[in-house]
Amino acid sequence: MSAIDRRPPVPRYAHGSRVPGWDEAVDLEKPPATVPDPALTPVPDELREAIEAEMAKYPDRRSASIPALHLAQRHHGWCSPEAIAQVACVMRLTPAYLTSVASFYDMFYLEPKAAHEVYVCTNITCSLLGADELYERMCQAAQGHDITVRGFECLGACDIAPMASVDGEYVGPLNLDDASLIVEDIDAGRAVLEHKQLRHRACADPGARSE
Amino acid sequence: MSRHLLFDRIDEPGLNTIGVYERRGGYSAMRKALQMPPEAIIEEIKQSAIRGRGGAGFQMGQKASFLPKGEMAKYLVCNADESEPGTFKDRELMQKSPHTLVEGIIITTYATGIHRAFIYIRGEYQLQADILDQAVAEARSAGYLGENILGSGHSLELVVHRGAGAYICGEETGLLDSLEGKRGNPRLKPPFPAIEGLYAGPTLVNNVETLGTVPTIINMGGAEYAKIGTQGSTGTKLISVSGDVQRPGNYEIELGMPSREIIYGLCGGPRDGRSVKMWFPGGSSSPVLLESDLDLAYDFDTMAKAGSMLGSGAIIVVDDSHTALEVMQKVVKFYAHESCGKCVPCREGTNWTLKMIERIEAGESTPMDLDILASAQSQIIGHCLCVLGDAMAMPVGSIVEKFRDELAEEIEAARERANSLAYATA
Amino acid sequence: MPRPERKLISLTIDGREVQAVEGTMLVDAARAADVEIPYFCYEPKLGAPVGACRMCLVEIEGIPKLQTSCSTPVRDGMVVNTTVERVKEAQNSIVEFLLVNHPLDCPVCDKGGECPLQDITFGWGKGRTRVIEPKRHFVKPLALSPLIAIDRERCILCYRCVRFSQEIAEDWQLIFTERGAHTFVGTHDGHPYVAPFSGNIIELCPVGALTSRPYRFRARPWDVEGSGGVCTLCPSQCNVEFTVRDDKVTRVLARENPGVDDGWLCDKGRFAYQAIHVDERITTPLVRGADGELRPAGWDEALEAAGALAEHRGRAAALIGGQASNEEAFLLARLLREGLGSGDIDSRLGAAGELDLNLMRALAAPALQASVSDLEFAHIVLVLGTEPIDDSPILDLRIRKGVRRNGVKLAIASARPSALDHNAKLAIRFAPGGEAEFLESLEWALGTPGSGETHELAALLRDGGEEVVILWGESLSAPARATLLRIADRLGLAERQGAGLLEVPLGTNARGIREAGALPGAGPGYGEASPGRSAAQIAAAAAAGEIGALHLFQIDPLRELPDRDGWERALAGAKLVVAHAATLTDGLARHADVIFPAESGAEKDGTVVHPDGRLQRLRSAIRRPGEVRAGWQVLADLAKRVGLDTGVLTAGMAFRQLIAAVPFYEGLTLEAIGGRGLRWPETEAAAAMPAPGPLAAAAGASATPAASGPRAEANGHLLAGTYRSIWAASEVEISPALRFAVAEQVVELSPQDADRLGIEDGAAVRVAQNGTRLRGRAAIRSGVPAGTAFLAAGIAEESANALTEPLVEVSKL
Ligand SMILES: Cc1cc2nc3c(=O)[nH]c(=O)nc-3n(C[C@H](O)[C@H](O)[C@H](O)COP(=O)(O)O)c2cc1C
Ligand code: SF4
Ligand code: FES
Repeated sequence: MSAIDRRPPVPRYAHGSRVPGWDEAVDLEKPPATVPDPALTPVPDELREAIEAEMAKYPDRRSASIPALHLAQRHHGWCSPEAIAQVACVMRLTPAYLTSVASFYDMFYLEPKAAHEVYVCTNITCSLLGADELYERMCQAAQGHDITVRGFECLGACDIAPMASVDGEYVGPLNLDDASLIVEDIDAGRAVLEHKQLRHRACADPGARSE
Repeated sequence: MSRHLLFDRIDEPGLNTIGVYERRGGYSAMRKALQMPPEAIIEEIKQSAIRGRGGAGFQMGQKASFLPKGEMAKYLVCNADESEPGTFKDRELMQKSPHTLVEGIIITTYATGIHRAFIYIRGEYQLQADILDQAVAEARSAGYLGENILGSGHSLELVVHRGAGAYICGEETGLLDSLEGKRGNPRLKPPFPAIEGLYAGPTLVNNVETLGTVPTIINMGGAEYAKIGTQGSTGTKLISVSGDVQRPGNYEIELGMPSREIIYGLCGGPRDGRSVKMWFPGGSSSPVLLESDLDLAYDFDTMAKAGSMLGSGAIIVVDDSHTALEVMQKVVKFYAHESCGKCVPCREGTNWTLKMIERIEAGESTPMDLDILASAQSQIIGHCLCVLGDAMAMPVGSIVEKFRDELAEEIEAARERANSLAYATA
Repeated sequence: MPRPERKLISLTIDGREVQAVEGTMLVDAARAADVEIPYFCYEPKLGAPVGACRMCLVEIEGIPKLQTSCSTPVRDGMVVNTTVERVKEAQNSIVEFLLVNHPLDCPVCDKGGECPLQDITFGWGKGRTRVIEPKRHFVKPLALSPLIAIDRERCILCYRCVRFSQEIAEDWQLIFTERGAHTFVGTHDGHPYVAPFSGNIIELCPVGALTSRPYRFRARPWDVEGSGGVCTLCPSQCNVEFTVRDDKVTRVLARENPGVDDGWLCDKGRFAYQAIHVDERITTPLVRGADGELRPAGWDEALEAAGALAEHRGRAAALIGGQASNEEAFLLARLLREGLGSGDIDSRLGAAGELDLNLMRALAAPALQASVSDLEFAHIVLVLGTEPIDDSPILDLRIRKGVRRNGVKLAIASARPSALDHNAKLAIRFAPGGEAEFLESLEWALGTPGSGETHELAALLRDGGEEVVILWGESLSAPARATLLRIADRLGLAERQGAGLLEVPLGTNARGIREAGALPGAGPGYGEASPGRSAAQIAAAAAAGEIGALHLFQIDPLRELPDRDGWERALAGAKLVVAHAATLTDGLARHADVIFPAESGAEKDGTVVHPDGRLQRLRSAIRRPGEVRAGWQVLADLAKRVGLDTGVLTAGMAFRQLIAAVPFYEGLTLEAIGGRGLRWPETEAAAAMPAPGPLAAAAGASATPAASGPRAEANGHLLAGTYRSIWAASEVEISPALRFAVAEQVVELSPQDADRLGIEDGAAVRVAQNGTRLRGRAAIRSGVPAGTAFLAAGIAEESANALTEPLVEVSKL
């Protein structure tokens, strides 16, 4: 084999694509997905009520689609086809409308996820301060645990770079050893790295602190 | 020494509750404003000459006066999406003093005859959103929200709306689509939101910090406020400093402060032995400046004159331990990931640029490719539906321009590496 | 509602001063002035521009940034440059970006040769590429539906297809998923994009990303010719272009006519062309031999056999199907009346009963006729007793457009839930068969204050704006029609421009056929004629042996008419059954003695009349296959055999005879009708429409109406209504591409009844009544009122045509 052929490959996307779904044909046996009929789509009462409460907040019920998807994701663990159909049924929209919306936003999962999530910021500031290694370490540490680890774009906390959001709780600055501590805290069901939580951090500006 | 208007004793425990906030004089501006004719409030804001704190730096008073007068379905949307890399100032304000924002919103809606307002906060800010929800509930119980506020005849519904993770929803029209429950794709302009925005009604979109400053302006008077800062950039500004500095964080400064004083004085500069290689003065969308630019005054006009922008006031400092390629790659990856995909030059331009950089890293490029890289950037600028494409092309263009030799060397080095690896494994 | 005004302004494009209508988009104004600006995403039919592709950037003096000409309305004095260097650079850039991920597989792409991306790349691109990065690659093509293939590599994300689904058809099934360069066109969770108008996205796609599965690799643009025609598969009569290769129709495209179809086409119209070229098609005359078998025969033999009609002089009857042309209907009526001395001819497919000529004239009065575009601009549209998506699909899109773009207030009054309910301000349900009663209560509510939904509707019609259009279905009974007329009168619809009635008939050319005189007791132009029997009376008479010969022109009564058993007896009772047909349906296979092969809509020469009075021309796009002869010719030859010389030797002569016979067609020529058609109610000759005499006094006109609402019997029987799906057509059954869509018996039930009867959604059910039994599949729909069930009619098997009574018993199989 020639030398050229043995070069490390340009990162091509596996099977030409990095997006699930691009290579999938539809299932011609399925019926078209129209607005679900309430008589045929049972929705858990508490979910229905919560979605209806969101819808009531806006002049146009469609505005509630993101809040409703958050609710459904919390209820079902992810935005499963069933979860989407339920939201569609309550909101009188097509499931496709909601799939289209959900897939636009990073926080919605159209594939199953673990019970816990860790977003490791790998954007510019965090990566200047070592986020890429942290992310790798976090992935390793989470292996075998009920945790989904994702590299995330800037989470708006570069002051504690490198940082992560653990089930919504911002923690940082993190060092490589914090990865396994985070997993331990999650497994133990306790507050994550309490001393590194952003919520307890004082403003950096000395002027803001003076009496 | 700089003045503290928004960050004044912001760490005081309990300031996020209405009790402490009011004890410290909170909501007095609202009471004062509700006694004033609405036009007078707009006038004060105009006189303050405050420029938008979200990125574009458009004068708030002017924007508010574009809204049609009279009774109709008008909306105010507070942009709390704060997703520009390097920016985290709104977060601190909302978390620690949410009522400042609520008060600013009440005053602004009163001044513009708006009865429905939304705070669009990025979904990742769960803590801050919960705190805002709490603050809104407190304000409502106090009678500051709802029907006929304090007998003024002004009514206001305020809803905190959580996003779900998309940078483009910080762009005001993408935000509006998202708030309408759609994909957050930016809209064609014109029409501008002030004429046709949320639910096709006239809509005022302002940043958290901009709206949060309104109570201060009412309290001290617009003319007085305008005395702070420089002539073209009045007031104080919350800035977020991050990256290779010793004391990263949010600071409130008077606009016009020398940049060196911020980076070295307030933030302690890079670690010992390191020097500033480049810095983004206004978030990752701003063209980079160099060490030699540190003596420039930090205000809207000076930054623009230097070929960059003040943007959201987010300074990212990169020291000389990092390569220009590394920085560029992070910037490009971000915008390629966040492009909404609606328009061609942004979608394909960011995506192609990313592939070009991946090719450099793989050792498959030559320095000549930098010309293509640079020209692709200029092909993006000015051709997109919104300015997200430009937001990548400008910093990338500036890095290629300012670090061309270094990049050329890195390209050659990457090729060497790839070749030797290839021979080693052959 | 005021229609847009057109004011001329002038602007400068590339140094030349040009005129344009104020408010038109710059790109259109430029094209009108012969300046071509390239674009992909712009398509005015889809609504407001999206400005996504950025191909149309131009320089407008006074604005620093280049502007998208697709979204910039022209203003007086505007100075525009489309060829300056920075515009060229922008165009080069966009083309280069578009091709970053495009596979450039033009040699194997169906779109090659008629591809905007190909053309624009040649015209406005740099001609070379700097992209050496790997492109994305996908499995291709993939099925998006049984009809449409998607090739995601080729897609340029121009938004056209998804906008169609979301903003025109409003089915919201086709979407963009993911974000940025990962965005792709798809559906929810692998469901196919199956919807009545899905095929339009193939035509909209500016690249080869969406292709027609039936058309794929059938032809190259330079192998084919386009031939303008009219779709004859439903009363919408959409204008089409047949793509013809080797005398075969290989594709059907929309031919935009704002007065008819707005440039859209339903999937039946787009794909059922396959029925023209299938083995099931009858292409030679068939004659039943002594052994009872139908056999191919020569024309002489067949005409000879059919000539036996003459033996039934005075005892012959004729039925005519909706796909006949005006000329055919005219000649058939002559054959029957003049040649066979009988007035027993009918063309009405509903349970219309006896014909009241005055009522018919009154409903067809020119001043009262609303046009298709009136639906778009009216203040109020009332859809009464018809389901547009099934009965005249293209009107469903037009009504949605009116509501969406112009704020038309829509009301629905029907027995069966409508696809338009969600767009309506008001959707009122009456019991199946209860339209007369409903209209009476509406009439009463118009004059009497009160509350409730009927009063709400009355208030809307009375005070919601002057231009009211009522779209009503042919199945309305005679008493209901009389009430409708009084309501129209009360609302002053005849006096107002833009207001009126628009009938949705059951047959494609029902209106033209009536105007040509194929009605019992009414001659051409609704003139007086010798009395005749209605379809139902013909059936009874034939069954009783009073009618000797039945002439069925492109109709199988077992399929198209109510009371299947009655017709079975009628066909068996007639001594001679002569038919014209394109396919051998049940009734004909069993009972016809002679069958003449009928032309398809793509083969006919002649005219038809749109429900709104627009005469349209059919032109033969292809040669007739096999032994098929023109319908007018067969009728003229047959007339000769029974001793009537019609004097018709060409299609043109038949047309001229028709024009001469119908007073309100006076002066019409084929040239004047042209490719866009011509509405006769708008011509001067319309005054020649005979005035209706006084209507028979309607019972209970002003009395308080009886309480309406479903009346299921206590024994658990359900009140049955029928519907005719868009897919219930013999052309659909034999088009291979549409096999997946063939309509079957789907029994629509309310959740309450389904629950009570223990029937699950999709379960097999039996519908019984007086010994008649049908099998079907249950569909539970929340909108169906409890106590009612809706059954499919017009289908090949298990059709609701078999039923004769209003009540049915539904049970699980
Ligand atoms: C890609 C993009 C992202 C933006 N993100 C934000 C943001 O996160 N927060 C914000 O306040 N403004 C953001 N903006 C600016 C807004 O479009 C808008 O100008 C601003 O909210 C107006 O408020 P202001 O006048 O108070 O600054 C962004 C703009 C662009 C083009
Ligand atoms: S499939 Fe065709 S019509 Fe649809 S977005 Fe892609 S290029 Fe446009
Ligand atoms: S045609 Fe104008 S942007 Fe696509």
